[in-house]
Amino acid sequence: MTKISRRDFLKLLGAASVGALASERVLSLKTTDSDKPNIIIILMDAFSARHLSMFGYPRQTTPNIDAFAEYSTVYHNHYSGGNFTTCGTATMLTGMIPWKHRAINYDGLVRAEFVHDNPFTMLGSDYKRLMFAQNPWPDRLVGQYYEDVDRFLPPSAYSLLDSDPLSALFGNDHAIASVAMSSFLLPIQGGNAPVGSSMLGYWNKSRVLNFADGQKSPRYSKGIPEAMNMGYLIPYLNEDVYEGLYSELTQLESNSSPYFAYFHLYSPHFPYRPRNDYLKLFRNDGFVPVSKPIHPLSVGLHEDYLNGQRDMYDRQIAQVDEEFGRLIARLQESGVLENSYLIFTSDHGELFERGFAGHGFQFMYESVLHIPLIIHAPGQTKREDIHALTSNTDIVPTILSIAGKDSSPDFDGRVLPGFGGQEDKDRPIVSVVAVDNSSFAPLKKAVITMRKHEFKLMAYLGYENKYEKSFELYNIETDTEELDDLSTKDETTLSAMKDELFTYLDEANKPFARN
Amino acid sequence: MKFPKFISERMPDGKSILAVYAVIVTLVYSWTLFTSFYKLPSWLFYLTLPQILSVYAYSFSIDLIESIIALAGILLLNFTIFLFLKNREEFQSRSIILATILLGTSMLRLALFQNYEDINAFLSGELLWWAIAIPLGLILAVFAPRIKMVRSILEGFAERATVFVYIYIPLSLISLIVVLIRNLY
Repeated sequence: MTKISRRDFLKLLGAASVGALASERVLSLKTTDSDKPNIIIILMDAFSARHLSMFGYPRQTTPNIDAFAEYSTVYHNHYSGGNFTTCGTATMLTGMIPWKHRAINYDGLVRAEFVHDNPFTMLGSDYKRLMFAQNPWPDRLVGQYYEDVDRFLPPSAYSLLDSDPLSALFGNDHAIASVAMSSFLLPIQGGNAPVGSSMLGYWNKSRVLNFADGQKSPRYSKGIPEAMNMGYLIPYLNEDVYEGLYSELTQLESNSSPYFAYFHLYSPHFPYRPRNDYLKLFRNDGFVPVSKPIHPLSVGLHEDYLNGQRDMYDRQIAQVDEEFGRLIARLQESGVLENSYLIFTSDHGELFERGFAGHGFQFMYESVLHIPLIIHAPGQTKREDIHALTSNTDIVPTILSIAGKDSSPDFDGRVLPGFGGQEDKDRPIVSVVAVDNSSFAPLKKAVITMRKHEFKLMAYLGYENKYEKSFELYNIETDTEELDDLSTKDETTLSAMKDELFTYLDEANKPFARN
Repeated sequence: MKFPKFISERMPDGKSILAVYAVIVTLVYSWTLFTSFYKLPSWLFYLTLPQILSVYAYSFSIDLIESIIALAGILLLNFTIFLFLKNREEFQSRSIILATILLGTSMLRLALFQNYEDINAFLSGELLWWAIAIPLGLILAVFAPRIKMVRSILEGFAERATVFVYIYIPLSLISLIVVLIRNLY
């Protein structure tokens, strides 16, 4: 018999503990039908990974999320497929790049042929499926397969007022009824058009605005938070919304069947209205963001204004971090996390630089595309860090893999490393913004980014008359602030990345070539 | 059914009610169509033709309900605060003035205050706008129809607007069916 040395024994012990950890994860993946894990997505709208303290942001914005990460899998280079809600969320829910799913316009919808590529439909009826989006745009996207959702909460659930009482009447035709009612006939504000219904529309607008105006709270001296996309205005309190989440999850727990719950929460999205106890946070803390040149496509906002907005955004993040921490503690206490995967992510980030504040338009810099992704698996006690480039197209393939369900050949996304997927170092990550392009036509007016290895290429298509550059190229690893444009300095990389991107784009444009 | 003399001598005939309804229909539906042209370019970007037609089906269904509510409101006014006015001849022009001023005020305010930045202006001026529009509407509704020329202009307009009832109402009924089908199946 071979004698084992002390060194070999220690190696064996190490290997055994790694194996035990690995088998724990594998066991959690290969569950029987009767013991499938629950899957919870908590998506916070407009949450930039660049503002998370764990990713090196100088401010301590997210102590509770950081604590949650200590027993979860953290993705350091996770990207959204788009820079605003509809596009980013559709990318996540379809597992496809925007140039395929085509929900590329602000109010957009997913192409009919891909509507059934989504977690609700594909998880099937053996999962109890809950959907709650405070933001009306994802509400409309999921409304395209309303019948595959068991509990569909309206955007105003757990809010202070039901701002759209009529849409709920048209459940079976949710998406189109929502376009008609909320965007056209009964919008509260915005939408680049007058309200389409002269009587009911006026009544609804007046009712909601007067209600919202009357909502004064001594705890919110800057005003009550409002979910306010084009058309909507829903006053809400994060305290109530997170309480509602907990209540929904405990109700789902009481069922015998596994569940999938998707919560798309509005905060920290603009308007930033943190509670009073957060208003002084980070004041005079000495943090000075890097100054960046004004972008020709921006409105040229002054840096003082941008920094003021950034302060408010950080405070809003700090408040939702507190709510998140409280929720996680309660979920742990009540045992919800014992058999549940909890996925924390966002649909896109937020930007306060180059003369622009917010998201959308043609801005595709890191702060708006780099989003958090933290996944806690049942029983996970240790942190795992994944540095591979990942995309929010990967979420649904991963969910389906966890649930033991079939994937779709239409997916561009892959199962995430750490949950059965393998890191592919040569994988390009593509993000698209094409709000000025018809969803039925080839992409000719768009900004497309491709992140590959350490580089990021930004291609401006159709903006020649407004912006002299057609390309920007950055080395994200050495130039995290994207200040040193390499497009004129490293023509080899630029050329290789351009060729690759346009090969993909030509392929993606083919189905629309006739339009 | 025989109404008491007090009511029957104030009750407008069907033709007059139809004429008033025609004006309401013209205003309500035209506004929706007009505002839809703001939205149409963006709809063409992301909605298919059947989806756009469905949006119009919802719109016409809501307009139908709205126009009926507006007519009911006008009739109610005629049988309450205008009950003292015996003149059935003035019913048409009185109702047209009321409908035009009230709906017009609503439309004007919706056109002026569309965006998030306009919310404060919308709210702060709301009371004043209606404080002017409602008494103005009531005063004009009482006195303007006494001028024969005003009456004849308004009645002429109503007569010509009647054609819209025959266009929009069947369209609305089809729209209602479309909405029902889309929601039942």
